[in-house]
Parts: sequence; structure tokens; C-alpha cells
Amino acid sequence: MKKTLNINIGNSIIHIEEDACELLNSYLIEVKQHFGKSADDFEIVSDIENRIAEMFTEMLHTQQKQVIELADVQVVIELMGSVKDFEEESDDEPSAGYTNAGYAGFGERKIYRDTEEAMVAGVCSGLSHYLRMDVSILRVLAVLSVLLGGSGLIAYLILWVSIPKAYTRSERMAMKGEAVNLQGFKRNFEEELSNLKENFRSAGDQMRPFVKHSGSFIAEFIEVLGAFMQGAGKTIFKFIAIIIMISGSLMMVSALIVLAALLGLWDSGTSGIFPLNIVDEAYFTTFVIAVFIVVAIPLLSLILLSVRVAFNSRSVNRMFSYALLLIWLCGLAVGIFYVAKITTEFKEDAEFTQNIPIKSFPVYTLSLDRSRFFSKDDSLRYQLNSAEYTGKIIQTDDRGPFNQPRNVTVRIEKSDDSSPSLTESYSAKGINFETALYHAKNIHYDFMQQDSLLKFGPELHLMKNVNWRDQQIELVLKVPVGAVLKIDRDLDRYLQGYSLWDCGDDHSGDAPYEGVMTEEGLKCKFDQ
Amino acid sequence: MIAENTQTQMRKGILEYCVLLIISRGEIYASDIIAELKSAKLLVVEGTLYPLLTRLKNNGLLSYNWVESTSGPPRKYYTLTPDGVSILSQLDGTWQELSFAITQSKASKNN
Repeated sequence: MKKTLNINIGNSIIHIEEDACELLNSYLIEVKQHFGKSADDFEIVSDIENRIAEMFTEMLHTQQKQVIELADVQVVIELMGSVKDFEEESDDEPSAGYTNAGYAGFGERKIYRDTEEAMVAGVCSGLSHYLRMDVSILRVLAVLSVLLGGSGLIAYLILWVSIPKAYTRSERMAMKGEAVNLQGFKRNFEEELSNLKENFRSAGDQMRPFVKHSGSFIAEFIEVLGAFMQGAGKTIFKFIAIIIMISGSLMMVSALIVLAALLGLWDSGTSGIFPLNIVDEAYFTTFVIAVFIVVAIPLLSLILLSVRVAFNSRSVNRMFSYALLLIWLCGLAVGIFYVAKITTEFKEDAEFTQNIPIKSFPVYTLSLDRSRFFSKDDSLRYQLNSAEYTGKIIQTDDRGPFNQPRNVTVRIEKSDDSSPSLTESYSAKGINFETALYHAKNIHYDFMQQDSLLKFGPELHLMKNVNWRDQQIELVLKVPVGAVLKIDRDLDRYLQGYSLWDCGDDHSGDAPYEGVMTEEGLKCKFDQ
Repeated sequence: MIAENTQTQMRKGILEYCVLLIISRGEIYASDIIAELKSAKLLVVEGTLYPLLTRLKNNGLLSYNWVESTSGPPRKYYTLTPDGVSILSQLDGTWQELSFAITQSKASKNN
């Protein structure tokens, strides 16, 4: 396959192959240079062009073909004669001197970017032709200047934009300082042909300037960027791919460990941790496997892709990919089904309240008590001998596994009558009211009064095997007007609608808050 | 070098004379002139003819008409101007003299 051009020569439209066109063009340039000095140059050249057009038309007609080839142009030039032949016939005209001067002028080098020998955009190789320097020296200088402050990068970009690319053969010859005349052209062309024969694989490269004829700087920039990615960038890509591969594999391993833990391969007790305790025990395994599939298969494809990039290996079997996709979709469907199912279990609310009478004291101390009574349930959970521990107090400083979102709120209000009280409101959700109420009733919360000391538990506890269904407790402490409250600052985050930190001129921390119940509600003692 | 130069000079003069002779036979197209010259083994390449025709035309010896062609663009058909005819007759005379001179020179040398 060859690219053809349409040319208008002597008012005829001729289809001509690209190499043939270049030869013809350089011939005509030479003819124009030869006759350029005389006043009739236009007429002579147009006569010659007309005649060439006529010859082409005849050739196309007699040989029954569509396109003028290189051989045809060579025949025509043979018939018309070269500039040398013209000189012989007309040496009384001062053309000889002129043409020699013209050749010298055209023999001078012009600066072009050499995209055929380019690393990036051919700026360095173009400069090397122009300056007659070794290109590797220029490249080393360019890289150094880029590394030392990056000024070279700007210079490179400016040169890239400002220096034209050597598109045509004549431009390439001017770049290399070869005379742009028919002899030089022929030599250049024959050299190229022999190179082509020697190394047939370079044919693609030889064609590159023809292919690249059109396109703006932006298009060229993108193309060069692409080539750079393929070349030097390939190593960077591979590096990234290997990193993705390693980290992906690690994530895969940890996903497998998590899966094993969740499925209870060993007694890790993970199913009690929020948010896993949302999922009902009955379908916990199915749900976890579905989620694992949804997560692991994209991870696996990512790893396979990066392996492919890093080691240029073949792509995975198409059947295998489809199977993976199918499994992933199944996993997704199951996952969505259970998410929807779980969502319905939050449909209904239930709440019940109970009142706890509080003994009257003029001053109360409110504190957060992390110690808790060990119930029978707890001893089962911690696999302790229940006979030994039940009813005893254990101190836990750490908050233990985070198994629920915040679920305890405390409000302090003015008592309507003169007696203090504590109202506990338990609430939970369920698929219907009965289930919701059952969940609410299964809440265990530690509150204790020791004389004037009121101890609040930091969180509520669920019975074993009870799922999280947004169980909450709201504690409303009602104290009569005039009662003094000393509140542990740890309780601040449980208090609703009141901040302990707004009170006190010393924010030095641990000193307990002190406030008095007034008609308008709780007031800081400093505000009195 | 001198031999080459002389040859060129001779060919140049005779080429012009021949072109005028061919055109004098009637209106003629450039490529037909070339065909004629080729059959007379005078012209090597076509490109030489066009500057010559242009020069003769500029000196007022020739004129041309554009004639529509069946295949391709219109063609230039050359004819002799009255000036051209008179110069051709002068050249005829010159050629007779030259021919005589050459025959004479060769004959006297051979004798």
C-alpha cells in the first residue's frame, strides 16, 4: 500500500504516489531555480509543467492505470532532461553561475527537528545535524539541564514548538546539509532504498514522517507522550504494576484471613463486633462470603492486570474472565439481597421506659463507672468459671471492642415534684413491633446509686447472639430545684443539650463540674 | 573542453535554424516539434526546447495560439511571424554559405 496525492500540474489533476511526487517536486524546484534568473521563467516553467502533465495523462491513458508511480516520473525526467542538459544547450545565458550560487545557498544546513532519530521530539537530533555535533553529547547536556533546575525542560519545549519538523525528503536533506537538487535527491533516495533493503523492519520508521504529515503541536505532543510511555515510560509502568501487584496480593491475603476469621475457623469472636453484629447469625456466613466475592474478584483482576503489564504475559483466558465476572455478579446480587433484608429489620421502632426512684440528697455526684457487674452471660462470654466470678466487679479501663455506635445519652432536668428520679428509656428496632420490643428488652445497662454517688455505665450491653438493632438508652435524671450536682467531666460526651466545658474559669481538666438546679434548668455555679 | 564548446555552439545555432524550419511548414505543437527534432536526431531532451521557443518568441520570430486539446489542457501551437519568415530566409542564405564553406573546405583538404 502506498499513499497517493492529488496534484494540480498544468491544470490537470493527477493522482500521484507520494515518493513519485517528492521526486517530481524536487525536479520542478530545480528547473525553477535554473530558469529563475530569466524574465520568462514563469512561461518556460509552465510550458514544462504543461508538457509533464500531458505526458502523465498519456501514460495513464495508454497504460490503463490510475496513479503515476515513481518509475513514470523517472521516465518523464529522462525525456525532459535534467538541468545539466539545459546548461549544456544554453551556456551563453548567465545561468550557470547563478545555479551554482543557488546550490551553495540551498546546500547550507537548515534547522529542523529530526523525528526519525528522535528520543522525544527530535530537538536534540535536529540540533546535532545543525551544529554538526554528536547527538549523544547534546542529549546528555539536555538531561543534565533538566535535572539541574529544570530550565532545560522549558528550553526544550520552546525549541520543540519553534523548530519545524522535517517532513519532506528535501527538508530532511536541508537539515543534513545535502544539496537539494536532483543528484542529491537521487543519492538520498537510493541510500534510503538500500537501507530499506538491508533492514526491512525499519520500513515502518521510514514511513513515519509521511504518516505524521498532519497534526498540530498538541497532537504531536500526545503522540510523543505515547511513544515515551511505550519506551522509557514502560519501565515506570512496570514498576507501578509490580507495586500494585505486591500490595494487591497482600490485600488479597489479608482479605482471606479476615474471611477465615469471620467464618469462625478459630474462635475470634468477631461476629460480636459492630458492624458485623448487625448481620443475623442465620445468614452471616452467606453474607460474608458474598461480600468477600464482591471485594476479592476486582482485587484479583487488578493483580492479574498488573502481572500482565509487569511481565508482558498473555491475557487470561476469556472463559476464565467471564466466569469471574459471573461469580462477581452472583456475589453482588446475594450481597444486595441481604443488605435489603437487613434494612427491613430496622423498619419498626419500639420503646419502653422504667422509672427508678432516687434517694434524696442535697448534693449528688455523677460519675462514669467503667467497672461492671459480671453477669452469668458475661462469664459465658469470657469463658470464665461463673461460680467464681458472678456478682463480682471487674475493672475495665479500656473500652473493649467497639461493638456499637454511641447509644447512651443522659439528660438532666428539673424535677416537677420535689423528689428526684431517673427515667430509663430503652429503644430498639426490628422487622415488626414485637421483635423491636424484644430487642429493647434485651438491653442490659448498669446504673447504680451509692448514697449520693450516681454511677453511670459507659455503654449498654447486648445479650450474646443478639444483633445490633440500633439499641439505645436515654437516661433522664430529674432533680429538684436547689440540688447541687458535681459531675465527672468524663460524662460530658453523654450529656445531651448541655456542655460541662462551658462552665468553670479553670479549664485545667480533672476538677469536677459543679452546678445547681434552678427554675430555668441546670446552671453552672460560677454563673450564679 | 574547447571541442565541447565548439560543438555546443554549432549545435545551438543549427538547433534554432531547424526549429524555425520545422515551424515554417505550418502551425505546430511543441511536442510535435520535439518528435521532428528527434527523428532528425538533433535534440536529446525536451526541456531544452522550451527556453529556446520562449526566446524566439520574445525576439518576435514566433507567435502562438492556444488550441483546445481533446485530451488535457489547451496546447500552444507555434507559427512564424513575418519577422521570423524574413530571418529564416536570411538564415537560409547563411546556411547556404556555411554549407558551401564546409563542402569547399573539406573538398580542398581532400584534394
